[in-house]
This record gives sequence, structure tokens and C-alpha cells, in this order.
Amino acid sequence: MLHDLQVWLVTNIIAHSPVANLMRTAWAWPIFESIHFLGLCMLIGCIGTFDLRLLGMAKRVPIAAMHRLIPWGILGFAINASSGLMFLLTEPDQYIYNPSFHFKFLFITIGGLNAATFYLSSYRQIFGANASLNPPLRAKVIAAVSLTAWVSVIICGRMLTFYRPAPCLGQQTSLLLTCAPALERGARR
Amino acid sequence: MNIDPFLIWLESTALSQWIVGSESMFAFPGILALHAIGMGFAVGICLALDLRVLGVAPGVRIAEMRRFVPVVWAAFWLNAVSGVLLLIGYPTKALTNPVFYLKLLLIGVGLWLFKRIGRRVFDDAGDERAQSPLVQRLAIVSLVCWVGAITAGRLLAYTYHRLTALG
Repeated sequence: MLHDLQVWLVTNIIAHSPVANLMRTAWAWPIFESIHFLGLCMLIGCIGTFDLRLLGMAKRVPIAAMHRLIPWGILGFAINASSGLMFLLTEPDQYIYNPSFHFKFLFITIGGLNAATFYLSSYRQIFGANASLNPPLRAKVIAAVSLTAWVSVIICGRMLTFYRPAPCLGQQTSLLLTCAPALERGARR
Repeated sequence: MNIDPFLIWLESTALSQWIVGSESMFAFPGILALHAIGMGFAVGICLALDLRVLGVAPGVRIAEMRRFVPVVWAAFWLNAVSGVLLLIGYPTKALTNPVFYLKLLLIGVGLWLFKRIGRRVFDDAGDERAQSPLVQRLAIVSLVCWVGAITAGRLLAYTYHRLTALG
């Protein structure tokens, strides 16, 4: 069933992609990659430093004050979700059959659910009137998971290139379709 | 000056050949991943400090941002080392491309601005001094430098005209 979804996505994106022509111009791909890296820096610089604060760095800064950086981290994530979608909508087979992309998606999901857990479980202790400068252990664990998840997203993102023979053909190997050795090496990125 | 003999020698070393040729994920892909992680922390925290200077998160006393400075330098050294390894892997690709020198220049200016901003804002009077037109301008130039350094770095994959000297 997941295999069918993968094939359906790749087929339909190739048939109907609204951005493929733009992305195949000489400058579009490198420019969107640069934007993707800038978003990465914003995410780590704002969400990563908030995690480090929860873990005990810059102890004298009120956590609620530090939290004001978070919207900029979320903006970084939004920039990366959009620019990442541009790549996916141009070369869908390179991502949807790519095990490194599967793991990247998994770690993004973990990062997102982990953030949701933070707000559902620790909001009052962190942002309430009697908030302490020392967050509960639960919040520290969440911060450590967050740092690990986002660093793993970077690693998987960088590894994408090394798991995508071009063109990439779906091959039934496991839970998900993954890249089969390419029949012919095309000029595609 | 012809540096080809040096490039050919460097590309023939065992280290260079391992970085480029090894099937191991710890060789080229692993070094590249470390370089991206270092960038995230070093550039990311510099950007966060610039944003703070420009008025974001006003409840955070700027002097306290000083606690994150060691993280910036640790990430910088991670990238200096991983960057040198990448350079040993593909010396011709980088050293014959003007964009590479532009990237180094932008990183140099970015770090110099980081230190200059830090000298002005990492003490008790930091929050006031951060509002001076000079420090505000330094923060904006810093943002521009980091965006430029990231873009130049990414363009290295597209703008080189010689990949190797060995051929």
C-alpha cells in the first residue's frame, strides 16, 4: 500500500509538477539550495539555542524570554519545508525512493511531535507566573531529543545525494520502495 | 604561478584518495554532514545574536548571549577541520575557483563582525549599546555576510571549472 502511494506520488508529480520547468533553469536549483541552508541555520540558531537553554546553558535567561526566538526558528522550518518541496516536486523519484529521505522525514516527524509534547506537557511550568529558571527534567529530555532529531535531519539531508542514482527506479525491498541501481545514468541531478 | 604540481601531489596522497574514493559513509559524505552541522550551529547562533541586537526577543539580556559564544567557536573549529579535509579531497576544485576565496572572505568578515559586536554588547551596558546605529549596522552587515557565505559555499558545487588536476 505504501509502495502504491510512492509510485502514485512519483508518477503524478512528474506528470503535473508546476515548478519543474522553473527549477531546471540554471540558477533556480542552487538558489533554492542556498535558501534551504539559510533556513537550516535559522532553525538551529533559534530552536537549537532554546534547547541548549533548557539543558542549562545561559541559566540566567528567563526561559519565556528565550522562547521569543522560537518564531524565527519556525520561520526557518517553513522556509525549508517550502524550498524542500521545490526539490521534491522537480525530481520526485530522487526523494520518494531514497532511504535517506525516508529517515529524514522520520526525524522531522519526531522533531515535530517532540515540540508538540513540550507545549502539551511543560507549558505551565515554563511559562506560568511561578516559572523557575530551572526547567523540569521532562523539558530537558525533550530538549535533548529535539537537538538529536534536528542534527539527524541535517545528516540525512546531506546523505540524500549519496543514495540517489539518477534516474532512480522504485524497487521492492522493504517497508518502502527504495532506489534500484539505475539502468542508465542520466544528466539529472 | 603554476600550482598544478602541488595539486597533483595533494590529490595523490593517501588521505585525499581515501576522502574522495572510499565507499565508507565516514569519508566524503560523513565529512560533508559534519560541515553542515557545524554551519548550523556557528552561523545559526551568529544569526540569532544579530536578530537579538536588531530587537528580537527583547527579554533576553544581550550579555547573557555570551554563554553561547563557546558553541560558535566549537562549531567553527569543527568546520575549519572538516573544511580542510574537504579541501584535501578536492583541492583543484576549490583553489581554482574564485567563489571559494569569496566564501573564505565572507566567513572571515562574518567572524570579525561577531567579535566586534560581542566586544560592544557582552557586558552590563550591552542592551543600551546594542541600540546604537553602529552596532545595528554591524548586525545587518553580519546577516548579509552569512547569507553570502552560505550562498557562495553552495555555489562551489556548480561554479568550478576543474574538478581535479590528476585528471
